[in-house]
Amino acid sequence: MVVKLRLARLSKRHQPFYNIVVAKDRSARDSKPMEVLGTFNPVPQTPLASQFQPTQDKKFKDIQLDITRTKYWLGVGAQPSEGVQGILGMLGLWEAKPGTMAARGSVGGAARMGGEKEAQIEGWEREREREREQEKEMERDAVV
Amino acid sequence: MPPRAAVNIHNLSFKTSICTSCLRRDFSSTPAPQTRLRRQMFAWLQGPGESFRHPLPNSTNYLSAYNRQGKLLREGEDTPESTEDLRPFPLNKTFVSEAILSEDLRQEIWRRVQVEKKSVRTVSVELGVEMRRVGAVVRLVEVENQMREERKQLALPYARAIHEMLPTTPYSQSKVVRHESINDLPVHPLTDQQLFYPTSESRAFNRTDAGRVFSAATRLPDEQDVAQGGAAKQPWQDIQPEKVGKGKNEMDILKPADARIPHPHLIAFAKDQQELRGNDDEIKNRYTQRLEDDATSRAEARERKFAADEKRKTRVDTGRWQFVVTDVKVSRQGTGITGRGAASPGMRYGVPHEDRKKGQVKIPTRVEV
Repeated sequence: MVVKLRLARLSKRHQPFYNIVVAKDRSARDSKPMEVLGTFNPVPQTPLASQFQPTQDKKFKDIQLDITRTKYWLGVGAQPSEGVQGILGMLGLWEAKPGTMAARGSVGGAARMGGEKEAQIEGWEREREREREQEKEMERDAVV
Repeated sequence: MPPRAAVNIHNLSFKTSICTSCLRRDFSSTPAPQTRLRRQMFAWLQGPGESFRHPLPNSTNYLSAYNRQGKLLREGEDTPESTEDLRPFPLNKTFVSEAILSEDLRQEIWRRVQVEKKSVRTVSVELGVEMRRVGAVVRLVEVENQMREERKQLALPYARAIHEMLPTTPYSQSKVVRHESINDLPVHPLTDQQLFYPTSESRAFNRTDAGRVFSAATRLPDEQDVAQGGAAKQPWQDIQPEKVGKGKNEMDILKPADARIPHPHLIAFAKDQQELRGNDDEIKNRYTQRLEDDATSRAEARERKFAADEKRKTRVDTGRWQFVVTDVKVSRQGTGITGRGAASPGMRYGVPHEDRKKGQVKIPTRVEV
């Protein structure tokens, strides 16, 4: 029987929230799976502003995933469902379908999980600094 | 139903006589309308109590500031209030009304933290206000400013009335008016118990060791234990947080007071003042240097934590949203053998939602500081 990586919706009405699970294909959607790999919250969350990061980024959708276990299950032939394919596409663990969020994503791609990670973080930090400087300049201009 | 006869209102007559004795009657049915206590109360209200009808401005006007005849005890209305005057309950001599922050001081705290971007620690020392209170003031003033921006109604008359009734700590630019003691350490609940811990006489048993005994933590490794020939850390250097216990029972190991004190640099400052008496420049330099070092190390730690958190995340920008994928560990330790443990991510199986059950507390019951 095929083993699938798929989403299970255990949450209440009007509160979508999914477990990313490894389960046998024929088992019921919300039945006890072979393993829970993580969660997917499709409701966009507002990032909290802090004293050190007062500017709020755009809203985010929170995904928590055990990437090591996911790679293992993909390695032994587990088949991701369409929804999970989208998530894995963003991580470069699955080929992103053209036209999907994963393909459109500016950071998505195959090389994300390797040594490039460090460079990526530095890039974000540089971006943030640039944004801060721009804001400061704008403030200065506003004062003048 | 048969039709009813119409009532002619002109035929109705009302008796308009007034019962005068009814007006004089008391509403109370108590046989003795004027008790002794009641008479005394009215006597007080019309006698000594008369001075409280129009209270002195800039004074708390507690009972203990006046004598039995209702005359102010201190000399002149402009003299500052003594501790004697600040006892609101004449029979409870131990209760003294503590000062609250004046509006000026509140605004100054906010300005120094948010506008001048000084650290909470620095502002706390500069203005003599405890760090937790500084944090609270900044948060509350921020809320107040936001409410002003949103044009919401503020309870200003109430605040003004309270500030007139209670003693306040003023803000002055020329000299520091201390609001409270800022370097106090609360009694740790672990130290409430009485412990008998047998140890050898030769062992150099210091505050670090005592903290470990109170927390039921294991003894320090030999290389850190003086009794075993190791080099011990001095109590004030022992600032690395450590945990003891597993799962739910995990808690912090009690550190020596030197490490837990809010402003350890003030102790170093006092020591410097004794050692380098007269050398004011050097004392000041060391003090500022210590504060700067502390701020730098804290900022570095914050950056490191942020970078470590960010390292586990992959951010994918899709135009409208940002997808944030966090790499987590799903383990048998997290879910337990039954799969019902809550330490791993994901909704658990076979565990009913209990949030609608009676007695489930949903609001936070304590504040972690």
